[in-house]
Amino acid sequence: MQIEISNLSKVYKENRGLLPVSLDVGKGELIAIIGHNGAGKSTLLKILANWHLPDTGNVLVDGINLKNRAAVVRKVGFVPEVPNLFDFFPVEYNLKLFARLFQVSYIRVEEILNDFNLLSFRNSKIQDLSKGLRQRVSIGRTLLADPPVLLFDEPTSGLDFEMTKEVYIMIRKFHSSGKTILFTSHRPEEIKTLATRVIMLHQGNVVYDGSPEKYFQSEIHERLYQ
Amino acid sequence: MIRNIITLTLNDVAIAFKNKTIFLIIFIPVFVFLSLKLVDIGAADVKTIHIGLIQNEAYAPVILRTITSTNQIFTVSRVSNEAEGKKQLTEKNIDGLLLRSEKDPTSVVLVVLKKESLQTLSIVESFSVLQRAVEGKSTNWIADITPLQEGGIQKQTLPTWVLMLVLLVGFIIMPAQVAEEKEKKLLLALLQTPMREIEWLIAKLLSGMVLIFTAVLSLHLLGQFNPGNTVSYIAFIVVGSFCFCSYGILLGFLCRNQASARTLGVIFYLPHLLPSALSDFSQKLTVAAPFLPSYQLYEPIKSILLDNGRISDMPLEWLYLLAVGLITLCFSYLLMKKRWLM
Repeated sequence: MQIEISNLSKVYKENRGLLPVSLDVGKGELIAIIGHNGAGKSTLLKILANWHLPDTGNVLVDGINLKNRAAVVRKVGFVPEVPNLFDFFPVEYNLKLFARLFQVSYIRVEEILNDFNLLSFRNSKIQDLSKGLRQRVSIGRTLLADPPVLLFDEPTSGLDFEMTKEVYIMIRKFHSSGKTILFTSHRPEEIKTLATRVIMLHQGNVVYDGSPEKYFQSEIHERLYQ
Repeated sequence: MIRNIITLTLNDVAIAFKNKTIFLIIFIPVFVFLSLKLVDIGAADVKTIHIGLIQNEAYAPVILRTITSTNQIFTVSRVSNEAEGKKQLTEKNIDGLLLRSEKDPTSVVLVVLKKESLQTLSIVESFSVLQRAVEGKSTNWIADITPLQEGGIQKQTLPTWVLMLVLLVGFIIMPAQVAEEKEKKLLLALLQTPMREIEWLIAKLLSGMVLIFTAVLSLHLLGQFNPGNTVSYIAFIVVGSFCFCSYGILLGFLCRNQASARTLGVIFYLPHLLPSALSDFSQKLTVAAPFLPSYQLYEPIKSILLDNGRISDMPLEWLYLLAVGLITLCFSYLLMKKRWLM
């Protein structure tokens, strides 16, 4: 298994968050993590991305413990819902800054600019870009170190139809190149179009773990979403 | 329209409570009021001047007789020698020291802390009034005035400006920067790289120290001030900027957003600035100020700039600042590790 999660929990005030959860994720899976607001979806991703520290539990990514942050950040890339870029600096500066921190060459920056159609925006400040373009830069930055696991927190939130389609194409492309992907979503069509597995969280617990086809025919889907 | 305005106003007041701006609004007047109470207003009204006289010094009898008999204007302290008198003066136990003038035995040399000060003016005027009353002539008993601290008023106030700059970067700029990086999740983005927490902290410290160095250097260049003992001066600026930048980073970690950080910064800035900078003017503040790290920076800087002091005379102050810097850095590191309010 590429990701082994055991007894992972993080509880906020009013008992919201993630109750002890155990999961295994195989290499190359494309998993949609779904659930209502406050179900623990983002918390799970943020723990895997080292944004939050868990209250309990353990996570191994390719055998590396999550506590070994310096090593695991090369294995896991996280694209947050709201791009967290240095707004007052240009696209190229942002990518080069992170390339330096990841100790990857600037050739990789050129590749990312090219792959993500950002060449014409390389000197544009982030604050001047549309949300879709910012998301593109954010995804590009995550791929600088070419991590085998990618986490997307509501990747199409706030994007228009065209940009949403573009993000779907990107995610499929990453998946076909062998990357393991976990993404959170509220959109049924997104889950149907992309996911190879669905994990549903409800009030911090895993209440469904299986194929998308079975999920949409399941009683739990009926009960919670209909 | 009016309803909307009221609604929005109430909303703004609620936000001010949330981000603690309201505390700042209350805090500043309260603090200024308390500081002004601590300044020796009562003492300023009292006309009595504490004059030091050297035992067995052959002062002109008329001067000695006049000073010792006018209890309402002068109180006299006897000191064993000139060095002891200067020490008493530095410690503000006396306002002035009288030495017999070598050139004219019928007059005296007045030794004061600062030549251009209200205190010195008051002493000279009191002497002048007494002399006219006793002898009826206008030639001054004071032949010369020797200040212990050299330099014009600009140089006299230089330590205050330096302290202000260090504290401004430490308490206003650094916390806001840290909180901004937390608020915009930039710090978390950086923590998704192999960068270590301590690297980020050191980089942040260095950026603050560079800002302070630039500001202090500009101040010296613009005013053409000679720092005196350069090595000692740089050593204190380095340790002072380290201490207060580290302190400011910790304050930034204690806040969730920029607005809170700015408020908290000001709450720390004023109490560190005023008691230290005003300690020269108030014995009460001189008693309270040493408990603040800012005083442990201000006094050595003042000593180096005005009295040719050296770091070898003030190692404890240097170590104190270093210790405060290291302790606050450790706390920041722990908060960063815990992803505090991120």
